[in-house]
Amino acid sequence: MATIHIQSGKNNIESNKNDSKVHSVPFTIHAECDAQVDKYFETGVKKNQEDGTFTASFRGYPLKGARVELPEGYMGVVLHESIKPETEKEERKFYVVNNFKSFTYWNWGKIPSQADTIRQALDWLEIAEVLHSPLVEE
Amino acid sequence: METTQITSLQTLNNFLSERDNNENVFFISDIPEVCKEYPCVLGIDEAGRGPVLGPMVYGTAFCPINESTLLVDLECADSKALTEEKRDNIFEKLCNASNKIGWAVEVIAPNTICNSMLSRSKYSLNQVSMDAAIGLIRAAVNCGVKIEHVYVDTVGPPEKYQAYLKSIFPKLKIKVAKKADSTYPIVSAASICAKVTRDHALQVWKFQEGLELSHKEFGSGYPGDPLTKKFLVDNCDPVFGFPQLVRFSWSTASKALENTAYHVEWEDVDEETTPPANTTSITSFFQMTNNKSTTKTEHSFFTQRGLSRKVEL
Repeated sequence: MATIHIQSGKNNIESNKNDSKVHSVPFTIHAECDAQVDKYFETGVKKNQEDGTFTASFRGYPLKGARVELPEGYMGVVLHESIKPETEKEERKFYVVNNFKSFTYWNWGKIPSQADTIRQALDWLEIAEVLHSPLVEE
Repeated sequence: METTQITSLQTLNNFLSERDNNENVFFISDIPEVCKEYPCVLGIDEAGRGPVLGPMVYGTAFCPINESTLLVDLECADSKALTEEKRDNIFEKLCNASNKIGWAVEVIAPNTICNSMLSRSKYSLNQVSMDAAIGLIRAAVNCGVKIEHVYVDTVGPPEKYQAYLKSIFPKLKIKVAKKADSTYPIVSAASICAKVTRDHALQVWKFQEGLELSHKEFGSGYPGDPLTKKFLVDNCDPVFGFPQLVRFSWSTASKALENTAYHVEWEDVDEETTPPANTTSITSFFQMTNNKSTTKTEHSFFTQRGLSRKVEL
């Protein structure tokens, strides 16, 4: 494991763009490039008026999605690493390129629920807060 | 104002272009009074099952049994044997005979087709087709059409399909046959409604992806058509693949993507076949080992949540 540096560059994190539309998708695209998300993906996103979930398609596969708001006091950041490490021990530098307060996560053909890993991962935030907050004597 | 009635080719085009081509669209004509009074024949056929692009359209036409000669006068014949112009022509005549003939179509969007075929619980094209046929019969029944005979064209084995339809509509006399569109004039009429609707859906297709292409540039949609082949080559986005006009679930499309687009790996596709995490192979207990385990395993609270530690604290 290595040390990780996160740098917000010239701009402060707060002042960075925070209009990022973040989609967490149930597949890996083996590529590192810009993608025409607004043209090819977002045009097909539909909202279910009854339960507020979304549907979309990727390469013909049906996706079901839900919006997740980050808890109060937290912020999501989009990081960019310009030099990829060659060994596990190297120090790594990430730059903040964007930040976000909510994101949409997508399952392949399954309605999003509390049982999804990504929702459960957020449980840790609450537990971490309890575990790591300084004790106050009463 | 939105077009709600189709009474000509022009209103058909308006109707189709005003709707979301990414979703299924259903239309049923006004029901002629005679169809509610006298026993009717109802025919069902499909258009655009094979092509790699565009919607698949299911169509039905119905009229009183004693008016059947009208269909012969309209020169209803196998829609594939007719030219496009001739089909358009007959369609207009069918619309003009609205006091005796009723019709309906379901336009099944290419995106619906691939979403069904690529869903977790596989929903085959045959099932999609049968459900469309059932939906059309049900719509006619619900609108008060006095159906006596139903004729359905099929691509698969007719016996099973016929038995299935009979189990759903026990009161109707149902005949499922191969090439029914050239045998029964009412099926020919249904076939023309389906084929004309599919052709026009392609003619007025607006790409939600913003591509500026006319239907003349994508050809018939049959995998062997050179225009269609060229369209698939020229309009492939390396990340997203094709616009939603294309049926991704067709092997022509998926093979083209394998060659030209980025590789995509899906999560949990083989859910059942992967062994549970942290399973130790039985032979490992018998192995000699000198190094004491120094790696701390993370608590299942974290592993179940997809969390892992990336830095030393």
